[in-house]
Amino acid sequence: MFDDLGPLWLSLKVATAATVGVAVVGVPAALVLARSRFPGKGLAAGILALPLVLPPTVVGYLLLQAIGRRAWLGRWLEEALGVVLVFHGSGAVLASAVAAFPLFLLPARGAFEAVDPRLEDAARLLGRGEASVFLAVTLPLAWRGLAAGLVLAFARALGDFGATMMVAGNIPSLTQTASLAIYDAVQSGDSRRAATLALGVSAISVAALAFVQRTLPGREVRP
Amino acid sequence: MTTLDARVVRRVHPGLTIDATIRLGDEIGVLFGPSGAGKSTLLRLIAGLARPDDGRVELAGETLFDAARRVDVPLRRRRIGMIFQDDLLFPHLDVAGNVGFGLKGAGRPERARRVEEVAALCGVSALLGRGIATLSGGERQRVGLARALAPRPRLLLCDEPVSALDLPGRRRLLDRLRGVQQAEGIPILYVTHSPAEAVTLGTRLFLLEAGRVVAEGPPADVLARAGGRASLLHLEGIRNAFAGTVAEHEPGGEWTRVALDGGPSLFVAPVDLPAGARVDVEVAGDEVMLAVGPIAGLSARNQVEGVVEAVAVHGREAEVVVRAGATLWLASTLASTPAAMGLSVGLPVTMILKARSVRVEPAAT
Repeated sequence: MFDDLGPLWLSLKVATAATVGVAVVGVPAALVLARSRFPGKGLAAGILALPLVLPPTVVGYLLLQAIGRRAWLGRWLEEALGVVLVFHGSGAVLASAVAAFPLFLLPARGAFEAVDPRLEDAARLLGRGEASVFLAVTLPLAWRGLAAGLVLAFARALGDFGATMMVAGNIPSLTQTASLAIYDAVQSGDSRRAATLALGVSAISVAALAFVQRTLPGREVRP
Repeated sequence: MTTLDARVVRRVHPGLTIDATIRLGDEIGVLFGPSGAGKSTLLRLIAGLARPDDGRVELAGETLFDAARRVDVPLRRRRIGMIFQDDLLFPHLDVAGNVGFGLKGAGRPERARRVEEVAALCGVSALLGRGIATLSGGERQRVGLARALAPRPRLLLCDEPVSALDLPGRRRLLDRLRGVQQAEGIPILYVTHSPAEAVTLGTRLFLLEAGRVVAEGPPADVLARAGGRASLLHLEGIRNAFAGTVAEHEPGGEWTRVALDGGPSLFVAPVDLPAGARVDVEVAGDEVMLAVGPIAGLSARNQVEGVVEAVAVHGREAEVVVRAGATLWLASTLASTPAAMGLSVGLPVTMILKARSVRVEPAAT
């Protein structure tokens, strides 16, 4: 039975890597959207939220247009860095990260917007620089929203099907994540394998949800 | 000696341009004016929380802002302390964490020492381990004051810090501020729209109207000169507030005597508190009668000797500021009364109070 768990393990690795990527790009993006004013901000916010409303296959298709081996970005990546994303595990990470990104960005932006900027000013007046203000005031006051967003993004990345399939394909033990493997198992009539994987993915997702519910309502902090 | 020398110009909106010069030594300056005059904005411009369109801000000889020379020292290096109307304490830190927030650069022993020092100065030593959510409004403001003072600012700005507090809370914070000014020896600029605070707190008053300083000088003088503009001074009913201790009860239960801190004793209606109990004492300005010299054969129990500190006439009313020991009193009269009585600064007077017009309550902690 445990040899069945390969795709599940791959899914966990892909979703974890995607979540890290989402956090690295998403925290600064959410902060900028919450705190800065610049021309085209609405457009930028719209584009970043687009994966939420586009069909996952369309997200995958657009990614292919950018990073495929014949696309400009994909060719540059291959020639300059020797990196090929398509039909590779890193492609699965990228695809699920892009699909999951808005699920982090929206609550994270809201969490940063809920932090009273006057508290940040008070911290600056008390001698703190920007990095220190962020670490000592903004982050601690916003972390519940950020954590919720990360869990949502993780769950979304874990379950991604369409975008991953388009970008990384469905290559067993290389890019075949649990979602893809469940599809394959059902197609080939292997119902035991399908059920095992479905149970595994569901267990992880439910655990993530439980984490959110345990963490978030907890001790309320007065804003 | 001038410590703060600031001229700031800022077009806030088409109806309001702030163009004000504030020069202040190591004293308490009060920025006073009607709502909408731009008091808080002026404070923010001096602090650096908002950027002036033009002008120059110098503090203790250092240029913090100069539009002509493109100087704009970042907030974190200005060493300006500020307390706010809604305290703006950090809700995720406890009281000690808030008070010590500005001492990040200091070593641990120095930090602990300074936190204890300012906590004692601001009366929050007993609160250091508490969470912010458990504090009363007055406690929050005192914690905010301690937090602002900890990193030894060169200027303390106060943006209507007592407006959310009850009267005893107000009095306690204002007393603290006077103590702070003496202990730290820094200029304090205090924004208020309350004439009672303006007259009793500061030594220098800036009267702000529509973004401009229209009068400046000793508070009572400025208010007296501003007298014609009655609309300016919407008196909210001036009340005197003091702290005191229950001294004794009349055996027949007729009266209680309360000793005010640093000031006179008052006979008040019987209070159901043991001798030694701390109390908050309030007297409305309207209930304080003035006489030049003591009077015999009077039904009122209290005759308190004092000296006229200031007379402020505004519209049809006047406030006479009387010092009795360490306590400052405001007596409200009609506008013509001070002149008719020949009241002038330095003149000894007697304040007459009925025992029943003194309100006594157990001291809030």
